[in-house]
Amino acid sequence: MKTIIVGLGNPILGDDGVGWKVVEELTRQMPTDLSVGLECLSVGGIGLMEHLIGYDRAIIIDAFIADKEDLGSILIQKLDNLPNYSAFHISSAHDTSLQNAIELGKRMGAQLPVDVTVIGIAIQRISEFGENLSPPVAECVPQAAHIALNLLKENVTNSREESHPHG
Amino acid sequence: MTQRISIDPVTRLEGHGKIEIFLDDQGNVANSYFQIPELRGFERFVVGRPIEEMPLLTNRICGVCPEAHHMAAAKAADAVYHVDPPRTGKMLRELLYSAFYCTDHTTHFYALGGPDFVMGPDAPVAERNILGVIHKVGLEIGGKVIQMRKYGHNVVEMIGGRKVHPCTSIPGGITKGITEEQRKEIEEMGRWAIEFAQFSLKLFNDIVLSNKSYVDLILGDVYTHRTYYMGLVDENNKANFYDGKVRVSDPNGKEFVKYEPKDYAQHVAEHVEPWTYLKFPYLKNVGWKGFVDGIDSGIYMATPLSRLNAADGMATPLAQEQYDKFYATLGGKPVHQRLAIHWARLIELLYAAELWVELVTDPEITSPNIHTKPTEKPTEGVGIVEAPRGTLTHHYWTDERGVVTKANLIVGTTNNYAPIQMSTHKAAKSLIHDGNVNEGLLNMVEMAFRAYDPCFGCATHSLPGQMPLEITIRDADGNLLEVLKQFC
Repeated sequence: MKTIIVGLGNPILGDDGVGWKVVEELTRQMPTDLSVGLECLSVGGIGLMEHLIGYDRAIIIDAFIADKEDLGSILIQKLDNLPNYSAFHISSAHDTSLQNAIELGKRMGAQLPVDVTVIGIAIQRISEFGENLSPPVAECVPQAAHIALNLLKENVTNSREESHPHG
Repeated sequence: MTQRISIDPVTRLEGHGKIEIFLDDQGNVANSYFQIPELRGFERFVVGRPIEEMPLLTNRICGVCPEAHHMAAAKAADAVYHVDPPRTGKMLRELLYSAFYCTDHTTHFYALGGPDFVMGPDAPVAERNILGVIHKVGLEIGGKVIQMRKYGHNVVEMIGGRKVHPCTSIPGGITKGITEEQRKEIEEMGRWAIEFAQFSLKLFNDIVLSNKSYVDLILGDVYTHRTYYMGLVDENNKANFYDGKVRVSDPNGKEFVKYEPKDYAQHVAEHVEPWTYLKFPYLKNVGWKGFVDGIDSGIYMATPLSRLNAADGMATPLAQEQYDKFYATLGGKPVHQRLAIHWARLIELLYAAELWVELVTDPEITSPNIHTKPTEKPTEGVGIVEAPRGTLTHHYWTDERGVVTKANLIVGTTNNYAPIQMSTHKAAKSLIHDGNVNEGLLNMVEMAFRAYDPCFGCATHSLPGQMPLEITIRDADGNLLEVLKQFC
């Protein structure tokens, strides 16, 4: 199964760049016998979909704004089970949701992953530029990388898992 | 009862906006506030870094228009080093930028603005997206959109070294040229882009201009403001995305001022309101008179429509034909109706595609003379380009080593903050009467946004943590009366 792992975020916007850090960690840990695409991207919607063309499976590592979760908490979810935020109203002023984009791509005949898993890492709302992660978010990077490696090796479950690296 | 209504399209790519509407005792709109939590600290973040890094760093500010930041920063870096790139270096940058424009304008029209017209403003919200558009007008169009984006990305990668986030512009020019083989490939893609742009304009003509109710919607009062208009122009006063002077026309269509980018601070000032972090740029020599339009108010707009209004025409023949048709159809120059921005954007798409071919067929485009080595001491420089969503200004000060000591950026959409505030206020006033909130409020307000193609933050790709759209109604004491959610 041809798989791509995408670290998503803005590398100069503090904790928003955590997806990139996880992929950097994976680059160091990736066993040589596993053939997988690794990319760090700052795109969403249609642009992100275009990067997934040609793969059977995708693992997307991204930050999410913590609601009740502790900072650095890791949530694993199938993309299909996440709300489609731009199905109706604006969520991006310039694009559509990844779900819509994948649907669009499929209708266009593109080969797109049938299985998209999102590893979300809880961060606070970010509003300051910076290249460093906050300590709680930085500490979860190895665990998120470990989870991604396990997902690569094992069957991906449909259930939502949650872990609290600090507690 | 005094009420407070809050519209909160929460999170994702371009930052966050929230609209709060306050009603008076009669239940009519008293005030509205379009609040934007600005991402802060960029000017501080870049201090201490070499100016050469700015084209690379600043293209991470925004996930929507990194190419625009790359170009504005590169031009500012040229100015800091007092160096002018050779003709081929400039043409390659402009070629990359034209391809980017085709990608960006295509995405906006088909994925965002198009649904309002193709599906209709009254269509069920679940259908007003790009999937609804291709369902209605055919799968073939979706394929063309994807193809246009692919070609745009290919050109950006060939010239810029990477897809989406180019990295080849440096002070004095560009680091890599193109081969004859690449030139041919780029030309072929550009000719396809011209056909696609013409196809898009025909689609707009068939679906929108042939429908009286849509034309009435465009020409209606709700989205009309008589403001000043800003855009870059070339030496013939034709619209330009990459280079030239900043020209501002007044609400009557006359040139108000034309200035060199380096003089921007003499003409643009920023007004501060206590309820938002983001500042409101205005024309310093007219003055800030509040959120009102007219010739005495310094509020200006910088969008595709502004660029057409501020210019005397387009520099390419097919786009010029469309420019003439645009003003003939909409009652002459200037056009003040904000929904016409969508049409103006398609005319710019055609111009960008024509320019793409014009540049790639220039005999010097494959010349190896792409860089002028900087020799002067770096000091200070301003770079201005037209980002798809407005005039983009980068201004840097450096020490004698070329290390940034101070920076100032006015990003595209910031220019339009005051006009967007006025448009959302007017839409709210038209749909809230005597305490009754019309169900169309959300979409009418969103249509105001969408026309401007706003981009208020940067590439924050955090997953959404809350509902994307919510209206809360509160009484004068702040007690929650009702919550209306759009389930997305």
